[in-house]
Amino acid sequence: MSFNLIVMKMAKANYKKYTFYVLCNSLAVMLFFIFSTLYFNADIVQGEEADSIKYALGIPSITLVLFTVFFISQAHGIFIKKRKSEFGLFMILGMTNRDLGKLLLLENGIIAAISITLGLLCGTLSSRLAFFLLLNYMGLSGVSYQLSADMFLSTITIFLVVFLIAVGRTLFLLFNQDINLTLKSDRVSETIKMKNPVLGMVGVLIIISSILGVFITYTGPNGGDYLIIWTVFIFMGLYLALNQFTSSVINFIKKDDAHYYPRMVPLSNLDYKFKQLTSTLMLVSVMIMVTVLYNTILLFTYTDEKERLMNMNPYDIAFIQSEHHNNLTEEELYAIVDQDENPIEQHITLPVYTFFEKYHDMNWGQFYHVMSDREFSKLRSTTIALEDKEFIYYLNHEAHHNTEGYVFGFHFPAENENEGNYIHVDTIVERNLNHLSNDFVIVNQAEFERIKENREDGFESTIHLINVVHWDETAGVVDELKEIFTTANESSPSISGINGEESPEKFLFQVESKADAYQMNMNINGLSFFVFSFLSILFLFGSFVILYLNIFSTIDKERVKYSKLTKIGLTGHETKRMIAKELAPLFFTPVITGVVLSFLFIVAMATDVGGVVQNPEIMVNFIVVAGIYLLMQVGFYLYSRKKMVSKVIL
Amino acid sequence: MVILATNKIRKIYGELENDSYTIALDKVDLTINKGDFIAIMGPSGSGKSTLLNVLSGIDKPTSGEVTIAGEKLNDLSGDDLALFRRKQLGFVFQDFNLLDSLTVKENIILPMVLEKKSGNIINERVEELASLFGIETILQKYPYTISGGQQQRTAVSRALVNEPNIILADEPTGNLDSKSSEIIMECFEKVVNELSTTVLLVTHDVFAASYCHKVVFLKDGSVHSSITRSGRRKAFLEQIIDCQAVLGGRNSVF
Ligand SMILES: Nc1ncnc2c1ncn2[C@@H]1O[C@H](COP(=O)(O)OP(=O)(O)OP(=O)(O)O)[C@@H](O)[C@H]1O
Ligand SMILES: [Mg+2]
Repeated sequence: MSFNLIVMKMAKANYKKYTFYVLCNSLAVMLFFIFSTLYFNADIVQGEEADSIKYALGIPSITLVLFTVFFISQAHGIFIKKRKSEFGLFMILGMTNRDLGKLLLLENGIIAAISITLGLLCGTLSSRLAFFLLLNYMGLSGVSYQLSADMFLSTITIFLVVFLIAVGRTLFLLFNQDINLTLKSDRVSETIKMKNPVLGMVGVLIIISSILGVFITYTGPNGGDYLIIWTVFIFMGLYLALNQFTSSVINFIKKDDAHYYPRMVPLSNLDYKFKQLTSTLMLVSVMIMVTVLYNTILLFTYTDEKERLMNMNPYDIAFIQSEHHNNLTEEELYAIVDQDENPIEQHITLPVYTFFEKYHDMNWGQFYHVMSDREFSKLRSTTIALEDKEFIYYLNHEAHHNTEGYVFGFHFPAENENEGNYIHVDTIVERNLNHLSNDFVIVNQAEFERIKENREDGFESTIHLINVVHWDETAGVVDELKEIFTTANESSPSISGINGEESPEKFLFQVESKADAYQMNMNINGLSFFVFSFLSILFLFGSFVILYLNIFSTIDKERVKYSKLTKIGLTGHETKRMIAKELAPLFFTPVITGVVLSFLFIVAMATDVGGVVQNPEIMVNFIVVAGIYLLMQVGFYLYSRKKMVSKVIL
Repeated sequence: MVILATNKIRKIYGELENDSYTIALDKVDLTINKGDFIAIMGPSGSGKSTLLNVLSGIDKPTSGEVTIAGEKLNDLSGDDLALFRRKQLGFVFQDFNLLDSLTVKENIILPMVLEKKSGNIINERVEELASLFGIETILQKYPYTISGGQQQRTAVSRALVNEPNIILADEPTGNLDSKSSEIIMECFEKVVNELSTTVLLVTHDVFAASYCHKVVFLKDGSVHSSITRSGRRKAFLEQIIDCQAVLGGRNSVF
């Protein structure tokens, strides 16, 4: 029988082991490929927000590479562990190292080829689906699904590198280690020897002090750099703590027999599980932490920015009209805006007299508008009445901005001798109309008429403020309006004398609408949000699979253990309870660790924007994101528990 | 006082309609009194393990009845059976059946923990058993760091911890060398003599069987014969070897 035939025969006999291994590798390829369809998507990484998104993708991509490395080497480890007894047998039967090496290389080569093919295929299909669903759901335009050679190449390269290292390591061990030794490498005994509760406490201390460190240094000048250092420390501490966690707990609880005895079996089992799975739990914790943290931050910037943009536009549609610009008759305007299904509810027109003042030495200047106190009062809840020769500076801006000592960029009244001096009685800063041109001078009606009559350095214009029934259905209307205005304004005479794409008029006569503000936020933050929702699903799924595989790779041992327990009289009911007690910590420790760590990071980072107490939305977002994660994990846990029970109780 | 009684138990593996069935036990009647120390012997495949499994309720007989301490096993099922087993029966297995992740002491107290006994009672009981079997010094060790004989003594202690009515052992010396076997059999003697607990064991080992008070021989699923010890152990050993020869089983190791 030829060597190849033997391999074929064995593959057939062991198809289950192979299937498992191939599936794991395909999954790693698939996850990585899905990520690369994001990372190399031209719409995402070459758009306006490319830099910030690439930057934001940094940590997740490192995490994902780490994950891939882990996942593949673990799948390989599990596979080899299952095959070791066979190898041992072959060696005893006289197979040489060379033959064994050839066998390993051959079968792993085939496995790699199948995994790559399968993984890329599934990856292409599922990323396509994910793009479609998410983009549709979020109504994001400007991003499309793409495939490029980079995506395939990077996925294949990374997979092959990790895979080859794993195989190489196995070969090395095979040639350099006594096979009997490798065969017995999986004893519970080894992990029990590593008990060191003090180290566990050290780990917890490192975590606590690093977090304190974050709080102290984050707001400092090099906050960002320190953050990375502290993160590294936190991970180190986390490793120690996870590794020795149950040892510490056992040590503590052992002092009281009444507490210890009833929990003896699950605790001792967890003790070695935690030691065995430290790296996995650690990885999962970090993945969860990164996801929760990023999603909270993003959701916060997204909602915060949305709120800010919406507040900037109290009216659904607003623009300024003058004789030569944006000049539509009321009928023409209504024909566009006043739709049957979305009629105009309110239309305010404010007559103003607009000046332009050019800055010294600069190719730029500023518009300001004179408005009567009567018109101004229409915008506010309280009325204002001014005497002759009195005026108020009014800045159309959010009041919470510090305007103490705000200096207006223009000089009113313009130095015109015959008009006499105006007296500045007050400065008002509040948001009353859309983010148009924001500087106003309020005078009484008589003064306003007089300025209109006598001055020639300005021009009369009208501010239109329109509310419709549904602002969120005005995108089309706004676009139409903008188009008409742009075309009409092309032939208009220049006011400022500054021409070109970025002339002050362009800004003055822009249409400011809620629909645009919303879309702008969508385009900037929605894209990041899309990217991270996508990643979260990937991470959540990946973290579950890696936990699940690890737990279920030792199912045979579990079965033996429970059959031993059954023999000494453990009831079916008690078995179920015990399984639950042993599984729950494995599933929930990483979630809780990840959530708590991300919470602390958020609190630390929120000091930048005044702390979490001042920004309750951050907390709300955090709770939503963490809650979703926790809920999903509960689902995964219940599923695994059911599966475990069915596999253990025969 | 009768502790265990069987009434014509049969155990048939496979379908009777098929040709491929095995009658593992054929109308076995057995009565065991309190304080008995009985060995069951017989050639391989004669149904010894099957009998033990049926007696302990792990397997259900095809027909017939098993009564232990007045309770009919047929009437119990599922969790009730498991509870009954852990209260009334103690088991000793050939491969010790200890949990690797627990210390010797923890392994011993496991059945008591399942019974939710209080810490003090548990600790007292462990000390008592450990000193009886000479394993006080290894209580904090893990199973894989102690010898097979010590592991089996741990298993015997665990079987006794809930003060069962009867101890069932399947080849308890099967994995042990002769010196350790001797120690284990002496342990069982103590169980019978000092704790007056009934012991029923299945063994291939004539030397181990010679410690018992009575040996029952199985052949092809039914009781072939039985002999009772009347004098010294050495004489009983000769007697057992003779019976085995008659039975046609493999010869003694001597
Ligand atoms: N689960 C089973 N299914 C079918 N037949 C079985 C099963 N278990 C045992 N048997 C058969 O029942 C008969 C008795 O088996 P048993 O294991 O009780 O023998 P034994 O006396 O314990 O043998 P040994 O000394 O080798 O342990 C044998 O013929 C065996 O093949
Ligand atoms: Mg047997």
